[in-house]
Amino acid sequence: MQDTADQNQETSLAMKFSISKDKLVEGVNHVMKAVSSRTTIPILTGIKINAGLDGITLTGSDSDVSIKAYIPLEEDDEEYVSIEKPGSIVLQARVFSDIVKKLPSDTVNIEADSRLITRITSGSSEFNLNGLDPEEYPRLPQIEEENIITIKTDLLKHLIRQTVFAVSTSETRPVLTGVNWNIQNGKLDCVATDSHRLASRSVAVESAENATYRNIVIPGKSLNELSKILDDNSGEAVSIVITESQILFKAKNLQFFSRLLDGNYPDTDRLIPNESKTDIVISTKGFLQAIDRASLLAKEERNNVVKFRTLSGEVEISSQSPELGRVFENVQAEEIKGEELKISFSAKYMMDALSKVDSQDIRISFTGAMRPFLIRPVGDDGILMLILPVRTY
Amino acid sequence: MSWKELAQTQATAARILTNALTQGQLAHAYLIEGQKGTGKRKAAKLLSQSFFCQNKEGAEPCGHCRDCRRVNSGNHPDVVWVKPDGQSIKKEQVSNLIKEFSYRGVESRRKIFIIEQADHMTIQAANSLLKFIEEPNGETIAVLMTEQMQQLLDTIISRCQILTFRPLSRQQMEEQLVAKELPRPLARLSAALTNDIEDALEYCSNEWFAEARQKVIQFMEELINQSQSVLLKIYGSFSPHFDDQSKMDIGLDLILLWYKDLMSLHLERMDDIIYIDQLDLLNRQALKSSLQQVTDDMSSVLSAKKRLSAHVNQQSVMEQLVLMLQGGVSNEL
Repeated sequence: MQDTADQNQETSLAMKFSISKDKLVEGVNHVMKAVSSRTTIPILTGIKINAGLDGITLTGSDSDVSIKAYIPLEEDDEEYVSIEKPGSIVLQARVFSDIVKKLPSDTVNIEADSRLITRITSGSSEFNLNGLDPEEYPRLPQIEEENIITIKTDLLKHLIRQTVFAVSTSETRPVLTGVNWNIQNGKLDCVATDSHRLASRSVAVESAENATYRNIVIPGKSLNELSKILDDNSGEAVSIVITESQILFKAKNLQFFSRLLDGNYPDTDRLIPNESKTDIVISTKGFLQAIDRASLLAKEERNNVVKFRTLSGEVEISSQSPELGRVFENVQAEEIKGEELKISFSAKYMMDALSKVDSQDIRISFTGAMRPFLIRPVGDDGILMLILPVRTY
Repeated sequence: MSWKELAQTQATAARILTNALTQGQLAHAYLIEGQKGTGKRKAAKLLSQSFFCQNKEGAEPCGHCRDCRRVNSGNHPDVVWVKPDGQSIKKEQVSNLIKEFSYRGVESRRKIFIIEQADHMTIQAANSLLKFIEEPNGETIAVLMTEQMQQLLDTIISRCQILTFRPLSRQQMEEQLVAKELPRPLARLSAALTNDIEDALEYCSNEWFAEARQKVIQFMEELINQSQSVLLKIYGSFSPHFDDQSKMDIGLDLILLWYKDLMSLHLERMDDIIYIDQLDLLNRQALKSSLQQVTDDMSSVLSAKKRLSAHVNQQSVMEQLVLMLQGGVSNEL
């Protein structure tokens, strides 16, 4: 302690503030989700702490996603932060997060000097940490007020859940590991496909009149992360800002940045058939459960394929495994129109799609046994799932 | 480091790159090929700085803006720098590289990929790299570095602009060392020993090296005087000084350079002489030996080097070498 006191005479104070420990821990927990220990960029092993005049911002990043947590000076008449000198510092994330969790008192004082030595005091304990230069930390895009797109949190989470499951997991076409967003005329279209199936969802968003964004491909991994950190119960809206290299989601006191995928997303519109030869309306839950049962035998086989056949007024689902045996099940359909049909498809893809639909009934439109078929919830045109059949009959 | 400095040693490459930078006509992939110590890494760093620097003058990066500093410290998020982790480029590094190819930049759409020892890449990695450099998108650059260009896939080579880095000439290196106030005899010797200016600097500032030079000169003196105690000298002072294989290898190189000087003397190429302060001794020995003999002696030293690298006991290697140089044993042994 004495040592630093001596050295402090030659150095100047770079940052100083005190903060409520609970708020700090909460913020650090948020940003730690973005920090990875396996980064190739040394500075990203740290958390950036920025003390501004309006509050504290913590930033963590693994360069793919970055999370900023904001702690305001006061909220609901409670004071959380008091700033003595604005400034910033980067501290080793792992150590810093462990330290703040275990600090003894309810308030934490943090001060950094111009040599980046950072003193953290709380109650009777004092830590002196070697900081890193905040100038070295990546610059994240700034929010520009004019091009903001607004969407409700729960709608955003739904939209992610209903599309991201269909992204490709193989690296052969990297652009397919993301969800393609297009925004035009206040409408957001999201499409994900791994070239065996496709999920798409359109929703209305609030945006500037002429805001148009094309080919914004967001990595599926980032969207999953985003979905996890968004608060379920808040009825608040999320603001979205799109820059040339990153997309930013801003919730209350939390900002989530993701890098975008490079490359042109394939044109998926022409994959979607316009006409149909067989149309079926069926209960979502009943159909899903039947497929699930049939898949019990099918998934023992490598491909997890179930067969599907239209009968009069009902459909037959079957599957077999040479070793285990067979299963047949008839499910009552609400409506069957058009030609008779026999088709096979992956039970997993079907279950993935059905489990994302909230409506009671779905409409499935087939255009022959070898053509992809469409699944749409009845009464909601925004959602569309497409599955490619498997050749077995 | 600046482009001006680079131009002193790699004039052609520096000119190509600075012209491309000032005219905004950078290629999307460069292959820097050249031996160790020729400044490949420095050039790549310089190129990254010029690529990102906000206040560059012409092609020169300012060197102290945020971007320049981060390129230097390895913290720039849009500079993806891959160097072999040990012997080869690891699978994890490759998958990270492939991922980076498919993402846009962190701060802007500009990105630069730098791959050291690109010949160490696996075929899989090389192919994904190929896919990337086949479809460049204006704002990214790939810089590959290699010491063995022939080990790269032809398909990769054909898609890169190749920059050949010439090894530093001995004279250039010697002048650089002398400019750093190092004694000329030592500078000349270390420049003859290595192409790497850093290595040479280390030799010159190392006391061991200066002593090694003395030992070798003493050894040659004993040989010329046909002293009976050469072998004793070897046991007593020579071997203890060169006490491991790499040191011994340097010792043998020093001896080899001595014979090369003798040859230069015979051919009257005075400029090439390396032990410039030992002209007397060299002249005396040159008078006593024929050109043929010098050649034979050189091949004796070379075969000693070969045996050393085959892990023959160092002592035996030296004993045999001494006997051969004294003319006692024929080279065929």
